[in-house]
Amino acid sequence: MPKNNLIHTYRRLSTYQIAQIILGALFGGYLVWRFYDLFIAHPIYGPETWVQFALAGVILGSVYAIIAIGYTLVYGILFMINFAHGDIMMIGSFGGYFVFEALKVIPAATPSNPQLKFLDAYPVISIILAFAVGMSVAAMSGYFLEKIAYRPLRGAPRLVPLISAIGASIFLENAGQLLFGAQRRDYANPAVLTRGSGWNIPVGTGNVVLTYTGVLTFVLSVLIMIGLYLVVKRTRLGRAMRAVAENKPVAALMGIDVDGVISKTFIISGALAGAAGVMWGIHLGLVYYFVGFVPGIKAFTAAVLGGIGNIPGAMLGGLFLGIVEALGPAVLGLDFQLKDVIAFGILVLVLIFRPTGILGEVLSEDKV
Amino acid sequence: MKTNFRNSLKAGSVFGLVTIFLVLIGFTGTAASLIGKVVNLDSITRGLGLTFAMSNLMMFLGLMGILAGTSGGRKVMGEIDSWRSVLLRATLTGFIHGIMLAILVYLVGSLNAAGIKMSAYLPQLLPDAILQLLYGRSPIQAALFHLIFMTVMGLLGGLLVRGVGRGSWRTVFARRWDGYLSEFRQRPNIQKVMANPLSRYFFYGSIILVILVLPLVVGQYWNYTLGTIGIYVLLGLGLNIVVGLAGLLDLGYVAFFAIGAYTTALLTAPEPQHLLWSFWITVPIGVMLAAIAGILLGIPVLRMRGDYLAIVTLGFGQIIGILLKSDVLTAFTGGPKGVSNVGGPTLFGKPFSSDVDFVYLILLAVLLIIFVTNRLQNSRVGRAWEAMREDETVARAMGINLLKTKLMAFAIGAAFAGLGGVLFASRNQFTGPEDHNLMVSINVLCLVIVGGMGSIPGVIAGAFVLKGLPEVLRELENYRVLAFGALLVVMMIMRPAGLIPSSRRKLDVISQKITTLDRPDPDTERNSS
Repeated sequence: MPKNNLIHTYRRLSTYQIAQIILGALFGGYLVWRFYDLFIAHPIYGPETWVQFALAGVILGSVYAIIAIGYTLVYGILFMINFAHGDIMMIGSFGGYFVFEALKVIPAATPSNPQLKFLDAYPVISIILAFAVGMSVAAMSGYFLEKIAYRPLRGAPRLVPLISAIGASIFLENAGQLLFGAQRRDYANPAVLTRGSGWNIPVGTGNVVLTYTGVLTFVLSVLIMIGLYLVVKRTRLGRAMRAVAENKPVAALMGIDVDGVISKTFIISGALAGAAGVMWGIHLGLVYYFVGFVPGIKAFTAAVLGGIGNIPGAMLGGLFLGIVEALGPAVLGLDFQLKDVIAFGILVLVLIFRPTGILGEVLSEDKV
Repeated sequence: MKTNFRNSLKAGSVFGLVTIFLVLIGFTGTAASLIGKVVNLDSITRGLGLTFAMSNLMMFLGLMGILAGTSGGRKVMGEIDSWRSVLLRATLTGFIHGIMLAILVYLVGSLNAAGIKMSAYLPQLLPDAILQLLYGRSPIQAALFHLIFMTVMGLLGGLLVRGVGRGSWRTVFARRWDGYLSEFRQRPNIQKVMANPLSRYFFYGSIILVILVLPLVVGQYWNYTLGTIGIYVLLGLGLNIVVGLAGLLDLGYVAFFAIGAYTTALLTAPEPQHLLWSFWITVPIGVMLAAIAGILLGIPVLRMRGDYLAIVTLGFGQIIGILLKSDVLTAFTGGPKGVSNVGGPTLFGKPFSSDVDFVYLILLAVLLIIFVTNRLQNSRVGRAWEAMREDETVARAMGINLLKTKLMAFAIGAAFAGLGGVLFASRNQFTGPEDHNLMVSINVLCLVIVGGMGSIPGVIAGAFVLKGLPEVLRELENYRVLAFGALLVVMMIMRPAGLIPSSRRKLDVISQKITTLDRPDPDTERNSS
């Protein structure tokens, strides 16, 4: 009796829906009131502040997006949360840091400036080198991580690889602390990329600083995202990756080396994390053993936001999360210390009300 | 006779990397000083111009070399297991191990000689440590020495592995231990003893007796540790219900711990609320509040499973942590400074002052919770949890009210954590945001998993291993968290069911064939999520 069934479903869903609608309406009303208050009744911040917040959000969001893609790639193929992804980002960040530190002492004297060092003499080469080293170190760590900690667990219950990933994460963090010390280190940028310097753009009554590091970060992330999208959609490897994500045994029957594809996925996701780590260092200027933890969790949030397993979703989720995090405290009238609460709050709300993310996930719904 | 050297190349480079890593994190120095306490070859090595520390370091590196040799020389599938082949492979392994170490030593030595301070970047490479690594020679001499030494040690390892046994040590140990145990159990007289209920009572009785006497004998520090272990047993038993029995992966478990701790702290401490209630009143309040929080968390996540549940609860735990740490709630919870001067319990007018008193209190709580868990596990609701863990749809078809069962698991797990938090705050007379960070959740989850999910003795063993063992290995303090991370990975690979697996879980995990190509088959997928 399909009709009865329909009524039954309708009744059951309506409780949830009513709750959702009421909560959503309350929240929406609050938002409208806040917007009215902020922009019309009591404008605390001028337009230049808002633009500055939004810019910071977009730049940070693009880094989140890059890390989130790494999560999504791995989740799409292995259905596991690579908890150590943030720590791979830390490794990449250290790779770039050491390149800069080494180039800082290599002399490249010119007649006009005998004190000049390589880092300031050839900034473009230095940055390319830093990215190359950071990305390759991180890619290697990703490869070995998969080989040591995840491959022996293929086919085990889903909790088992998750615990293994948590263990690997703890191991990498502490190895970083023991190897490089616990102190926070300043990222030594080339002189042209001094943090905080940038173009001054007049907005409203004030100025907005569009920092060079921010522009570099954003442009590079967009390039990386485009490149990755092309790899996944257009190349043989990308097709193999999609096939493995869809169905491993059938992919193997079609002549795809499943283990090889999984390894390559980890290499790509590691390289992305490494690039994000170097960007993080260049833009925000700090590197230490714990640097990857919070961005890692937030990027996972972003991946879930966009629909996990879905690459454009991860990009969108990253940008969205960055912007919300930057604007949220001001819009909601909360303390700026609570910006992480907003990030995690969004995560919880999205998972509760729309567990498949904004764009929907590639996986079937019964996984949720 | 063709010998395949791929395995030796691999083993050599793996061991080379491990040894370099150990040198760079400064573990070699610590291990050398540990060896120095056991073995003393000072009189021999002094003649060679080595200091005490150097000879110990050499012994440690020699050990690593022998290990590399045994690993490189062990029998490989399809290999000829002749003396010549084994020794060749082992020596090659040692040689590669030596080359990698020699390169490191040469680099470090010459950079140091050039006056570059490496300790600014790699804090363990202090000049003293470098001098030890060079054995007081020039970089090139030291590098050559390391190379030759490691090659010889590899050869030694090869001799060892050919002489002692064939096959990999891993399978030998793993198989034999379980084999001996079951063989021991199956002996007729042992079975007769085990069948006698008196022997069981005797066994548990003696354990309880030992635990009762222990706090009186050991010092204050160990009592503190015992108390911590007890609190973690409480937390573990609570999470065991949520994860082990009901199969709901909760990474925000620390939130309930924090609720219990802060309830007691705020109600009994003079600052910031000045309520000064009695400890005993706060116990039920803390437990109740934690249980209510458990239900409140449980309602929105009712429809979720597996990883998604883990992430939501992780986010929930993080939110609580950030709120506690921020200045927003300072007036209410004391903010980042936390709450100090938390009141302790009094019994018949006598305040609990020493750690010994608290150990007994915690012990009482642990025994109570063990009793409750044991009863719950075999009750109607306990069986409902297990059914739900195995398969939600089938459980529902069997007439189990999933809503009630899930909320029950969340509430009871949270209540145990709340009790742990109450005791924790009261014993430390302090609680702050740093006591309730994500690591607590992860530690508790790990102790449940290391011990064996769904098994009460497993949780206790896990708590002792994860919280007690590091205290025993004080010397290795800097390395214990590192080792803990590695242990988790190794544990998952070699013994995924835990140290003392519950009987059902054991059947579950061990009978699973781990294949490379399979997506987890539907059964296991459901089990674990």
